[in-house]
Amino acid sequence: MLGLSRATFRQRWPLFVGAALTVCIGVALVQSSLLVLISAATLPVPAGLAPAARAAFVEGSTTAVTLSALTLAFSAFLAVFIVSSTFAFTVAQRRPELALLRLVGAGRGAMRRLLVGEAVLLAIIGTAAGIPVGLAATRFQSGLLVGLGMVPDGFNGEWRSWILGVSAGVGIGVSLAGVLVAARRAGRVRPLEALRDTGDSARVMTATRWVAGLLFLAGGIALVILTPIGGAAGGQALGGNAALCLAVALSALSPLLVPVVARLIPVRGPVGELAVAALGDGVRRSAATAAPVIVLVGLVLAQATMLTSTTAAGAAEQRRATAGDLVLDATGPVGGDVTDLPGVAWASTEVVLPLTVSWGSGDDVEREDGQALVVDPAAYATAHPGREAVEALRGGRVAVAGPGAGAGSPGDTVGVLVGGSDLGPLPIVAGVPDAIGGGADLLLTADAVPAAELAAAPSRTVVALAPDADRDRVLAALAALGTVSTVPDWIAADTAARETTTVAVFTVIMGLGGLYALIGVVNAVVVGAAPRPAEFATARLSGLTRRQVLRAALLESAAVTTVGLLLGGLAAGGSFIAVLALTATMTGVATLAVPWALIGLLAGGLYLVTAVTSALATWSGTRRAPVSLLGATT
Amino acid sequence: MVPVTTTTFAGSFPGTAPGTAAAVALHGVTRTYGRGPTAVRAVDGVDLEFPRGAWTAVMGPSGSGKSTLLHCAAGLERVDGGRVRLGDTDITAASDDELAALRRERIGFVFQGYHLIGALTAEQNVALPLRLAGRRPPRAEVRAALSMVGLGDRARHRPRELSGGQQQRVAIARAMVTRPEVLFADEPTGALDSASARTVLDLLAAMAARGQTIVMVTHDPAAAARAGAVVFLRDGRVADRLVGASAHDVADRLVRLEA
Ligand SMILES: Nc1ncnc2c1ncn2[C@@H]1O[C@H](COP(=O)(O)OP(=O)(O)OP(=O)(O)O)[C@@H](O)[C@H]1O
Ligand SMILES: [Mg+2]
Repeated sequence: MLGLSRATFRQRWPLFVGAALTVCIGVALVQSSLLVLISAATLPVPAGLAPAARAAFVEGSTTAVTLSALTLAFSAFLAVFIVSSTFAFTVAQRRPELALLRLVGAGRGAMRRLLVGEAVLLAIIGTAAGIPVGLAATRFQSGLLVGLGMVPDGFNGEWRSWILGVSAGVGIGVSLAGVLVAARRAGRVRPLEALRDTGDSARVMTATRWVAGLLFLAGGIALVILTPIGGAAGGQALGGNAALCLAVALSALSPLLVPVVARLIPVRGPVGELAVAALGDGVRRSAATAAPVIVLVGLVLAQATMLTSTTAAGAAEQRRATAGDLVLDATGPVGGDVTDLPGVAWASTEVVLPLTVSWGSGDDVEREDGQALVVDPAAYATAHPGREAVEALRGGRVAVAGPGAGAGSPGDTVGVLVGGSDLGPLPIVAGVPDAIGGGADLLLTADAVPAAELAAAPSRTVVALAPDADRDRVLAALAALGTVSTVPDWIAADTAARETTTVAVFTVIMGLGGLYALIGVVNAVVVGAAPRPAEFATARLSGLTRRQVLRAALLESAAVTTVGLLLGGLAAGGSFIAVLALTATMTGVATLAVPWALIGLLAGGLYLVTAVTSALATWSGTRRAPVSLLGATT
Repeated sequence: MVPVTTTTFAGSFPGTAPGTAAAVALHGVTRTYGRGPTAVRAVDGVDLEFPRGAWTAVMGPSGSGKSTLLHCAAGLERVDGGRVRLGDTDITAASDDELAALRRERIGFVFQGYHLIGALTAEQNVALPLRLAGRRPPRAEVRAALSMVGLGDRARHRPRELSGGQQQRVAIARAMVTRPEVLFADEPTGALDSASARTVLDLLAAMAARGQTIVMVTHDPAAAARAGAVVFLRDGRVADRLVGASAHDVADRLVRLEA
């Protein structure tokens, strides 16, 4: 049987190379994300760091861990999705040949053994190539995290020998998962199909497709509904996963949708007719090409839109939740000095301290790092409309849950460590509303914190001018204490910093994964064109020129890309609804910031990639004189 | 319609006791395509026995159900009614794996369109059924099958490097390499020029002379005349049959049938 595989390989190598390539990159990405994740999670905090530096280090590596975990999740998803759809498509493309094997007596078991054997072989090749490629990916991903300042220079996802086992497991497991369904179907190919060369004789909308499509559709809708109750971080994850589910659902159902769109294409002349006919006849092919486009567009668009929308919502929320005219960035509790200045109506000084909260006791202690804000309750309530719950701090040695909400809820008593001082257990007596843009996790008063901690810590002071104040004199006096900006400028600068982080986060999570999905697209186009030389030859013998055949193929690929973009947009639309609901719940204002530039870039890039690939594939498929291709039936 | 029956037709041929020794027997076989008003009854209650060791031709107008009959007889198509026997085996309700084993071991096929695997050489194509049966065929056995069809020197050629007639001969070698009980051929010369067709028919004749059972659908009266007996189908039913007729007689009968 292997001889048959070998011979088939010689003729259909693009199919096999494509399949092995998808395994290779999938293995590389999963391996690399896993190594980076483990290295970030086990990164030791350097000894002898000052509390603030230590806090910054911990925050950076925590973010790096979160991002790597997300990257790992996306990589694993993409590996499963792209490898299984590639394997299934490759088997579908070989259906005529498989029917012929059935005709000369291959039983179901033999068919399955043949395909599973091939898949294992491809998986081994792909994994063997994927492991070294993974090392390069590790270097790249580690470099990204270093570049973003989340981990120190010299950080690298460290090699661990057990990863070999994981990578082999991923490569072979994902390939087997991909081929098993396809092999079962191939076992059921009817031998008579070999005698009817009417192209795509198999039903494309299989039961598996229906079940997967409807299941993921339901899952996606459920996640959209759940998003608003997920809170700032959970909501984003739910919304992103909603788009992911919808993308899977729509790619499973795409054979139903491709013909609908094909009917909308204005047909003119024989070239257009050929393209539309090919779209209708090759529904399986169109669906296979559209699938990675849908997933790529769905994921990228959803992720980008969720990030930009929550950032925009956070900025708007911050504007609403900040009264006053100026912000002073300084060191230590400068509140007294500021309120004493003539022309200052009120001032709220907020000292920022690194925070560690702990729950439980004995061996069972859980710790969480975050940020504490030491405030004057009355001034804070004035400076931040909507956060009047802070007044509960007047109760003495107590804490109030802050807008970041990462240190527990009212009713909890938590161990509090700020800077280098252990404040012991403090009851959380109230909480201000969660903010979508995050913020401090715990609010404290100066009474609870040693003065020495406060003196060295960074602080910001929101200042309101009196109606009769001399603005310039106040500005000059404040400038002596620290850096002054207007409230709008201060919020704008803060938002800009968040946006930079957002872009970085997006690049880390989606960068390599997006590239992988793009390779999946290229692969599907190549695999789709592999068995078509005979079809092209027939078209040319019917009088079309090579150029016209090429134009028809380009038109067809543009149509399929359009379908992919539309459906991907639809999948992302689920997360648009989710983010609207999330922002409405959390900030009272439904916010959607659609990244049009990114959409344009993505659409343009995809049209270009599919056009170039299908042009090259068609050109090479029409290289031989048409007559030479008609003799061989398979 | 002019009655054209020359000998009484009782579902079997002279010299064959009904129900025994038939290589393939169909009893009341019916096959309908589609449902409702568009349903086509491609084979309609056919009783037929193809005797062991005989070469039988099946003729009839286009769409009369010849291919469907052949597919039913070979277990490629399920029947809606009736029974199909191959030798002593009732294959009417055989499982998929049993049918696959039949195709590997007991029956061979030749079709108008050759249907060779393009990626494999002639030799590999011929060896395929044996390898699917789990055997590692000796090269000599495969070469012998190719030599029998006169292509001993083309073993390493791929189908696209062979002429149509040569490809059909490779297909015959592939069908015969398992020494099947019955060889089914659906218009094996349909796509060939007359010289190549004659070569193929000579091959079949030589095989028949050695006692090979052959069931062959054809449109060509000359081809049919080389078979020992001819069965005529019309509208899915057996309309007539001839034994030992000349090409002229066969053509004559066909014209009357199509009238
Ligand atoms: N798969 C199918 N689905 C629907 N109808 C079919 C199918 N196969 C055959 N038919 C119909 O059954 C009838 C008999 O077809 P069949 O192929 O057996 O005829 P035939 O005698 O072999 O014709 P020809 O000489 O043209 O090959 C025809 O009317 C045909 O349209
Ligand atoms: Mg026919």
